[in-house]
Amino acid sequence: MISITEYPIDVFKVLMEVQDRSAGATTVFTGSIRDHNDKGTVSELYYEAYKEMAEEILAEIESEVIKRWHVKKFIAIHRTGNLNVSDISVAVAVSSEHRKEAFEACRYGIESIKSRVPIWKKEVSGLGALWTDGVLVKDD
Amino acid sequence: MTKKESDLTLDVKLFASSREIIGKNKITLKLTDQMTTVRDLRKAILELYPSLHSSKIYFTIAVNHKVATDTTALNHLDEVALLPPISGG
Repeated sequence: MISITEYPIDVFKVLMEVQDRSAGATTVFTGSIRDHNDKGTVSELYYEAYKEMAEEILAEIESEVIKRWHVKKFIAIHRTGNLNVSDISVAVAVSSEHRKEAFEACRYGIESIKSRVPIWKKEVSGLGALWTDGVLVKDD
Repeated sequence: MTKKESDLTLDVKLFASSREIIGKNKITLKLTDQMTTVRDLRKAILELYPSLHSSKIYFTIAVNHKVATDTTALNHLDEVALLPPISGG
C-alpha cells in the first residue's frame, strides 16, 4: 500500500496494517522534522509532490521490494503540505518471514524514496524559507 | 513562427523552485516539427525563461511520469513536467 497524503501519518495504523500472519518480522521506519539543519534552527517545513508521478514511482518501488525480498506486505506513505517540528513526514513498513529481509527491504524503500520520488522540501529557518538542496532524478 | 499541423503544443508542469522562479504552475510551449525531443524542449524552456539558468535551477524532465533522457521523443498529449532536484524523506 502506497500513498502521498496531506493528512497526518498514523504510525500505529501503519504497524497494524503491515502485519501478516505468515510474517515473523516487521520493520517500520519513520522520518520526522528535525528542529535544526546545518545552518541553524528550523521551525517548520513545507513538502510539495508531483502526486501522480510520485504514486507511480512508489508503486514501482513496492513491486521491486516484493519481487526482490518476497516480503509479505509493504507500506510507503509520504506527507505533503505544512509540517511542524517532530511531525512525521514519511513512513515505510515491511513485514516478512525473517528480520534480514524486513530490514533490507525497509532500507531500500526509504533510500529509493529519497533518490527517485518527485517530492520537494522547503525549510523555514532564521534564513527564511528555502528549498532544500536535493538530488537530480536520473534515468534508470 | 507559422503554425503547422505538425507543430506541437505542450503544457509543462512546474514544481518547487522552478514554479516559484517562473511564477506559474505550468507553462505552454510550441515546438516546431524540427523540435521533437526533450533536448529541444529543454533548450526552448531555457530560451524563454533565462531566469531558470541564472538562478542555477537544474532540472530533469519527466514525460508521462517517467524520467526522460535528452533523446526521448515528444508527442501530442504527452504529460511533461520539469523536476528540480528532489528532497523528499
